[in-house]
Amino acid sequence: MTTYAERPTIAAVPGVAPAAKGKNFVKWVTSTDHKTIGYLYLITSFAWFLIAGVLALILRLELTRPGMQFISNEQYNQVFTMHGTIMLLMFATPLFVGFANVIMPLQIGAADVAFPRLNMLSYWLYLFGGIMAFSGFLSPGGAASFGWTAYAPLANSTYSPGIGGDLWVIGLAISGLGTILGGVNFITTIFTMRAPGMTMFRMSIFSWNVLLTSILVLLAFPPLAAALLGLEADRIYGTHIFDPANGGAMLWQHLFWFFGHPEVYILALPFFGIATEILPVFSRKPIFGYKGLIAATIAISALSVAVWAHHMFASGQVLLPFFSFMTFLIGVPTGVKFFNWIGTMWRGHVTFETPMLWVMGFLVTFLFGGLTGIILASPPLDFAVSASYFVVAHFHYVLFGTVVFAMFAGFYFWWPKFTGRMLNERLGKIHFWTLFFGFHTTFLIQHWLGIKGFPRRYADYLATDGFTGMNMISTIGSFLLALSMIPFAINVWITRKSPKVEVDDPWGYGASLEWATSCPPPRHNFLSIPRIRSERPAFDLHHPHIKTEDH
Amino acid sequence: MKTNWQLFVGLSVFYVLMSVVYWFVGGEPVGITGMILAACLAGMVGFYVWFTQKRIGTIMPSDNITAEISDGAGELGFYSPHSWWPLPVAISAIAVGFGLIIGWWLTLIALVALVISIIGWVTEYEKPLDDPAAHVHH
Repeated sequence: MTTYAERPTIAAVPGVAPAAKGKNFVKWVTSTDHKTIGYLYLITSFAWFLIAGVLALILRLELTRPGMQFISNEQYNQVFTMHGTIMLLMFATPLFVGFANVIMPLQIGAADVAFPRLNMLSYWLYLFGGIMAFSGFLSPGGAASFGWTAYAPLANSTYSPGIGGDLWVIGLAISGLGTILGGVNFITTIFTMRAPGMTMFRMSIFSWNVLLTSILVLLAFPPLAAALLGLEADRIYGTHIFDPANGGAMLWQHLFWFFGHPEVYILALPFFGIATEILPVFSRKPIFGYKGLIAATIAISALSVAVWAHHMFASGQVLLPFFSFMTFLIGVPTGVKFFNWIGTMWRGHVTFETPMLWVMGFLVTFLFGGLTGIILASPPLDFAVSASYFVVAHFHYVLFGTVVFAMFAGFYFWWPKFTGRMLNERLGKIHFWTLFFGFHTTFLIQHWLGIKGFPRRYADYLATDGFTGMNMISTIGSFLLALSMIPFAINVWITRKSPKVEVDDPWGYGASLEWATSCPPPRHNFLSIPRIRSERPAFDLHHPHIKTEDH
Repeated sequence: MKTNWQLFVGLSVFYVLMSVVYWFVGGEPVGITGMILAACLAGMVGFYVWFTQKRIGTIMPSDNITAEISDGAGELGFYSPHSWWPLPVAISAIAVGFGLIIGWWLTLIALVALVISIIGWVTEYEKPLDDPAAHVHH
């Protein structure tokens, strides 16, 4: 951006308030501060998490017993469609943007992101796009009901008439545009705004993962936008892009999963990054295999565009050996990451403060989801359980395991950095164990439910099917899971006036640069930046007597 | 900066390789096209970063392993302190999309609003060179 105005230096603009003084609302709505925009992202995506969680409870209530108790079949379809859509595209994806926005510029020693106004535009596009897709519930025909995958020809205007589907398509296209702009912003920031001495191979793992996730965003979201606009042309103008008569059904699946599989890694990598930030702090050791972790992340990013059709094994029209092999292959770098995480804890002085507890929850849960993923990567095994609750259980272990566990890990870890106040440890532990048992009660049983033959997306089953007991257990678990939000809410509420954190690093062993500035950081992040000589500049600053190996 | 373009060029080469392998083992056209386009995108970014680095010529302080923080001192660039413009741009964009569903009249109005708000955005900090008001920070 060029301007003829005199460029203010960094010292000239600290704490600039908008013209209307004291108006917090105006300050937030017109903000170009990466931290404020990051908080907007985190708060909004958490609100969507709660909304989609309520939708999930409706699904679970309906499935508790045979017969339709609360809602119609069509309403059930709408609820699971919006549950999936919101959780993936309005909760998990923007949650990455939120964490990346707040933390990444701090970690690389930047004053802001490269394009502050574009950052805010991304947020508005996400917010409005999400509301647009959700507003289908207010339309006469109800919300979109073709599943979050919107397969052709189900999603066309013949089988899914009504404005709800159109709002879904356009809302996601616009919200996706915001995500693409966010990705551009992060890549530019990391390439051009690192502090002196902060070379690429001194950058924190979280920032590396933000970079690679942003690259995946650039690769994955444009195909989604193209597919969505094609679908909308079919729905409104009667084009035949996704007409099964000319192979459109397969075209949609290929395009959708060409987006959809990298999307899984867009949801996973940043949260792997959060776990990797937390593990060394509570193990009192440097990361084990820093470069190995980066190499593994690059390998995952590279391979993730070549595995999409393992979502389409059951179509019978994809190359099973190729995609099966590639899927097994992508398990290798993920295994390398586990090796590094365990190596980081190995012989460390491990303590289990709340953030570490959440990371343990992540490791256990995600490992289980990864193992069932290896089962599903094998076509003969996949055919047996495809589109059953086994798959539902698998992807909830993978996605909930990474996104939600690592989200709360990140919240407890960085809460002092966000707010200047610590969250309560005891309530955090109650929160963790309630959620942990709630989650596993809900989803572990669904593996067996799937193997017994209960198909996903069915609103009902017969008493003679033998699914009732397992469904009841799952529903009870889901309510325990929902209840775990209460200790978190209490925690946020009671600690809002707790004593201010006076030090830069309340955990005492922080490695990356966000721990070398105040809690919360000033407007342009740093009053002074320590000299950067390793990938642990804040640690070098606070513990100068321990020499870190220079990379 | 070497790592930067190598990362993108490396991804690009890998995607070319994958599309060739996929084509060779009998892949379908959508995936081959998708991977080639992915290779082009990564290659384009890689080329731009390589080209820019070559044009700059020197090693940036952020790529210098022995740099001091003071090496980056001076003007850091212009940061918009706060701005209203992203909001009208986003509202116009959403209205363009909503118009596709409910009627062209809205799309046309929203497109005009979008152009106006983008002009507002781009010219927000444009001031005549000798205008004293240009030195007032927003």
